[in-house]
Amino acid sequence: MAVYSNSRQLTVGSFAVVSSISEPGSLPLSRPAVTKGCDVVRLGFMPLTDCAPLVVAEMLGLFQGHGVRVELSPLNAWVALRDRIAIGQLDGGQMLAPMPIASSLGLGSVARAVSVVSVLTSQGNTITLGDTLLADIEKAAPALAKLRPLPAEALAAAIRMRKRKGQEAPILAIVYPFSSHNYLLRYWLASAGIDPDTDVLLRAVPPPLVADELAEGRIDGFCAGQPWGSRAVDLRAGRIVLGTGDIWPNHPEKVFALSSELLEHAPETAAALVAATIQAGKFLADQANLKQAAKWVHYYALPQVPLSVVEQSLSRRLPYGPDEMEQPFAAPEFCPARSCPHTAHGQWWLRQMQRWGHAGEAPSGLIERLWRTDIWLAGAARAGFPTDNLIVSPCPDGA
Amino acid sequence: MPYDRHDVDGSDALRPSIRDRGMRLRILLVDDNAERAQAVAQGLLADGCEVVGVVPDHADIVSLVRSTGADVIVCDLDHASRDAIDSMQALHRNEPRPVVMFVDRTDPGSTEAALQAGVAAYVVEGLSPTRVRAVIDVAVARFKSHQGLRAELQEARTALNDRKLVERAKGLLMLTRKMSEEEAFRTLRRLAMDQGKKLSETAANVIAMEKLLKS
Repeated sequence: MAVYSNSRQLTVGSFAVVSSISEPGSLPLSRPAVTKGCDVVRLGFMPLTDCAPLVVAEMLGLFQGHGVRVELSPLNAWVALRDRIAIGQLDGGQMLAPMPIASSLGLGSVARAVSVVSVLTSQGNTITLGDTLLADIEKAAPALAKLRPLPAEALAAAIRMRKRKGQEAPILAIVYPFSSHNYLLRYWLASAGIDPDTDVLLRAVPPPLVADELAEGRIDGFCAGQPWGSRAVDLRAGRIVLGTGDIWPNHPEKVFALSSELLEHAPETAAALVAATIQAGKFLADQANLKQAAKWVHYYALPQVPLSVVEQSLSRRLPYGPDEMEQPFAAPEFCPARSCPHTAHGQWWLRQMQRWGHAGEAPSGLIERLWRTDIWLAGAARAGFPTDNLIVSPCPDGA
Repeated sequence: MPYDRHDVDGSDALRPSIRDRGMRLRILLVDDNAERAQAVAQGLLADGCEVVGVVPDHADIVSLVRSTGADVIVCDLDHASRDAIDSMQALHRNEPRPVVMFVDRTDPGSTEAALQAGVAAYVVEGLSPTRVRAVIDVAVARFKSHQGLRAELQEARTALNDRKLVERAKGLLMLTRKMSEEEAFRTLRRLAMDQGKKLSETAANVIAMEKLLKS
């Protein structure tokens, strides 16, 4: 089997399937090496429902099935993942699609280049608003306020009403600037003439905190990945008013990113990793498997959230509010036919970054270098996954 | 209480104009390891810095950066609040704009050393990097010695456990096999050598076996 690097941590022989995910609550990456001299690919993931393909691939032994030893580590911050890759302590992991672009443009920090090798999930973020802002929307736009998905015009009316009364702009939380959350929220706001830089206050809040911050009234709403919208509903802190899948249906959400170093030295290993995530996607696409997947995700990624909420966040139906009927909802979608990274999607994220002044001119061919369709195709071939009926979600502005 | 405030002098009014002329640097510490944070704070105080806050949890870091007027934020690399601190530059145009230290690429070696030690530092824009280097050096040293301390403690605990196991195994052999203490120890050592195992592992096996035979 292709090997990648020297002296990595190794998990204990026959228990590798279970033990190579760091226990929740333990310090990630600081466990003493059990055995040295074996090659392990180290991947990071965040406390979000859509880490499921990585956790499932590990729990089902799919990585091992392709001859790769993987160690998964839970992280608390996206930038920690970025920095751990930069110093070679991680080889990749679950990532926000705009992050590899930001890194390669030198935005925010020195970073090792990472590339997108597959799309782990489609859609699955929610825009969730607190009671105060919802009451303002009800007052300002009674006809629109009850609609789901909520039209951005309803929020625009509430913002205008607040302005007239001399009240402050609503505070909306996002998880990180270079994120699908930020750019899809901005796209939605701007569609109703709301200027995201002046008409609202955007604040970054770590995902595990958004529900509590909303409950305590420190923010008026948020755009975050599941299960945090469902968690807010569960805490009766607010209501889900739309999913990011309502803004861009089936948009590519979390990507699987690997360091350029791994891609350069061990493209076979990269393809094997992709193959395992495609197979995990197949497992997750089957409703019958979601209960099992929820248990694993709950245990390894979200021990602080009740299992019922994790289960709900994985299902295709959930309530927008505590007293509302369950509805078909833009939940995270695990669809292997959508897992191929398309450069058109990368270009869309780049255009959003430029639209809001977060990125300037990009070198030509940047996205083609970062979105490694070739690695995905090699992975699909390994997994025996047919590539003749891939689904490409058209970008929201028709591009 | 979200954080402690250690005001050393009340020189806020003078601060902006003399910040870069030898004034004490104001440091905000973000670390949920209280022991380590204390060690870093002491090191920085000894170095002539002012520690304006120690934040253990995910309090509203952004408004703290604003209200404390911190010049430098020293942060645990894995702290959940890092995404928010990292975002200040992109999201808050009229606020303090802390820049993650490794934007200054003049010294990639020390950046790497800091990251390896688990330290992330943010520097409020406009501050001279050379003044910050000392702060980061102190933090890195304290983080490292804390790691070392923990490793030593762990080793000490393991050694203690090992000794306990050996003592118990010896005692069992003396009791059930009527061996002298020395005979018991030699038996254990021979077993360990034959099996290529650590003395403590063999001791654990002997204890387990004796338990099994007893039940």
